[in-house]
Amino acid sequence: MNKTFILAGALSAALVGTAHAESVLKVALNADIRSTDPGVNRDTNSDAVIMHITEGLVAFREDATVGPLLAKDVQVSDDGLRYTFHLRDGVKFQNGKPLTSAEVLWTWKRFLDPKTQWRCAPEFDGHGGAKIVDMSAPDPLTVVFTLDKPNGLFLTSTALPECGGSGILHPDSVAADGSWKAPIGTGPFRLGDWKPGQYVELLRNADYSARDEKAPDGYTGNKSTTLDRVRLLVIPDPAAAKAALLSKNVDLLIDVTPLDATELAANPNVRVTSSGTMSVNALLFQTRDPLLKDVRLRQAIAHALDSAQIVEALTGGRSKANNSMVASGSHYHTAVEDQGFAFDPAKTAQLLREAGYKGEPIKLIVNKRYAAIFDMGVFVQAMAKASGINLELETLEWGTQLERYQSGNYQMMAFPYSERLDPALSFDSMTGDKDKEARKVWDNPDARHWLREAQREGDITKRQALFDQLHQQMIKDVPMIPMYNGNAIAASRDYVKGLRTWPVSKPRLWTVSVPNSGSN
Amino acid sequence: MFRFISQRLAMSIPTLLLISLMVFAIIRLVPGDPALLMLGDMADAHSLEVARASLGLDQPLPMQFLIWFKAVLSGDLGHSITTNEAVLPLILDRFQVSAGIVLVSVLLAALIAVPAGLLAAWKQDSALDFGVVSTATLLLSIPSFWLGLLLLYAFGIKLGWLPVVGYVSFGQAPWQALSFIVLPIVTLTLVELGAITRMARASAIEVLRLEYITHARAKGLSERAVLWRHALRNSFAPTLTLIGLILGNLLSGIAVLETVFTLPGIGRLMVDAIYARDYPVLQGCLLLVTFVYVLVNLLVDLLYPLFDPRVKL
Repeated sequence: MNKTFILAGALSAALVGTAHAESVLKVALNADIRSTDPGVNRDTNSDAVIMHITEGLVAFREDATVGPLLAKDVQVSDDGLRYTFHLRDGVKFQNGKPLTSAEVLWTWKRFLDPKTQWRCAPEFDGHGGAKIVDMSAPDPLTVVFTLDKPNGLFLTSTALPECGGSGILHPDSVAADGSWKAPIGTGPFRLGDWKPGQYVELLRNADYSARDEKAPDGYTGNKSTTLDRVRLLVIPDPAAAKAALLSKNVDLLIDVTPLDATELAANPNVRVTSSGTMSVNALLFQTRDPLLKDVRLRQAIAHALDSAQIVEALTGGRSKANNSMVASGSHYHTAVEDQGFAFDPAKTAQLLREAGYKGEPIKLIVNKRYAAIFDMGVFVQAMAKASGINLELETLEWGTQLERYQSGNYQMMAFPYSERLDPALSFDSMTGDKDKEARKVWDNPDARHWLREAQREGDITKRQALFDQLHQQMIKDVPMIPMYNGNAIAASRDYVKGLRTWPVSKPRLWTVSVPNSGSN
Repeated sequence: MFRFISQRLAMSIPTLLLISLMVFAIIRLVPGDPALLMLGDMADAHSLEVARASLGLDQPLPMQFLIWFKAVLSGDLGHSITTNEAVLPLILDRFQVSAGIVLVSVLLAALIAVPAGLLAAWKQDSALDFGVVSTATLLLSIPSFWLGLLLLYAFGIKLGWLPVVGYVSFGQAPWQALSFIVLPIVTLTLVELGAITRMARASAIEVLRLEYITHARAKGLSERAVLWRHALRNSFAPTLTLIGLILGNLLSGIAVLETVFTLPGIGRLMVDAIYARDYPVLQGCLLLVTFVYVLVNLLVDLLYPLFDPRVKL
């Protein structure tokens, strides 16, 4: 009797197990995350994971403009000082509790508390970008932010992935003593398990309140998912990650090099997807260097390089050369920004003569952490040599190069700027007073003035004019040579559907579907 | 014996002190700091200042050392700058992974290599000797990562018998755990076979030429008795030293293999800590590694008298 009962139980359990087969996606992560606290102790992988768990009031759309996410709409006062966010009704946190303006205020007060060490606090406390002077909640579904002066980047900064998208958290995310526990957000996935050095697991948020749009749109739109579970496996070695994909130990690689992409694309069971991002790979000049302070020498180097050919070789044709800090994918990138440095060896020879250059060696710093940066240095060295410019490569470990960048201690440097989702942020990364911040590359008072205007201005037409001016001046001054915008390349097994890369080089796994376990 | 062990352990204290001071100083001489690496190219002066202050990096170096050292003396190795995990449990957890693989691999390698070396020495200049020496030289010449990748390709991708990535501990799922560590163990065993075989062969050749072996044979002892009872025992001491060195070396991290097989071991932890300038983790790892070296060498010294009666403790 007992045996029959146990057998029946086992059979029914097996049947139930079959009926509830899970939809599981296994993704390779090239390094472990640093923490699960949005925008605190972060790096790009931490941001990528947290953006699946938490959501902010606004978020980036597919075209890198900003649209509402937890907010139903956003109203900006005529003087540009007051931002009123009306929250969507019926949104629930992953612990089942409803989202109200109280949680929004709690989250933002925590973000702005210096003890939190939120990466983006300077963008909102007056140290860098905007200054929030007041936050209030007139009713349970309305939040009002007041700034000290107009700021064209307020919404953009709010949505930045490095700020964790300013994801709104439930207060139960922290312990009674204020220490971090785990994120309780409103995103389509909740945090399952994080085994440091091994994997991060996300589970579907069954209570997810999706927006009304029919489809996902960047980090906003309808973000409902069919995946039950996502396991992000830490696989630091690219060869091992490739092997894992080929053996179906993982379904998706989200960070593939152009070389591997070409190889993987030849496999009939693998699909490769790519799109341009807003990161910038550039050649920096130290404009205070005794040799390179002469703009004619910098111009000579710029005209010695066939950017189109270099970029074609570096990216396998996936990216086009872009000599502007305004990314190719930005809606601010127009015909003006297309005007870059022409490849003109005759002009190079003339400029070198005028500058009195006699083949003095110029050190070009590269690193091997970012293969594209090293390769770019090699191409640049070869092309410069053809024009009689003596570049010497100096290969440094990434941390050492970063220190040299920060201190301005270099002649030339091939450098990867991480993506800035607004041209004002891109220009801000390299424009400024070198006496105050040695890392700044371009120290031109006019440019600094135009940049300040672009950061303050909210009107798109006026901002466009300012970015055009900045670009044209930068081409004249040649403090650096932006070469091209990076590429987000993903490779997946053929049964992975819905994967889309976009200008923000981070995955959006809610768009992805895979067959249930056992069927692939 | 007890006095010997106590003396050796006591001698390790100044070594550990010196190492901790050197590690502390050297890692800070390397350009770049954790705050800078955390903020990357977005590091503005204010954010950098705040981050450095929060990590205690704004204090003078001697003060930083004293704070860390005082905590170490009370058993607190601090917290990881990268993940904020407590360093001691973190490194012990990771060390277990590496130690399990290394101990099994070295044991297997020794069990195969020592008899193989002895047999090759016994049949010196024969086809068997040539085969053993050639195989050992080949294995000695293969880089571990390349062999690992080959095995991954064959058994993971082509045959699909074993998983290519991942790790679970034996406590969680023993069979699954085994499937994850088979390839790393095989790789490491094969790589270490070469050196141990060659050392075992060279030592055995020397011993087999000695007069007491001739005497043993003249006494009418069987070749088996000559080899196992006399030649092996007396020729094993140098091989044991080598095994000790290999063990100490491998226990300090098999970072390359751990990266290829995505194992969360101490080697990978250390490499990650170097790249991230995670000072507390790196300092903790190196202290542990130094201590392990001391222990392994002590163990070898304790085993020596078993094989070489001339050595007295």
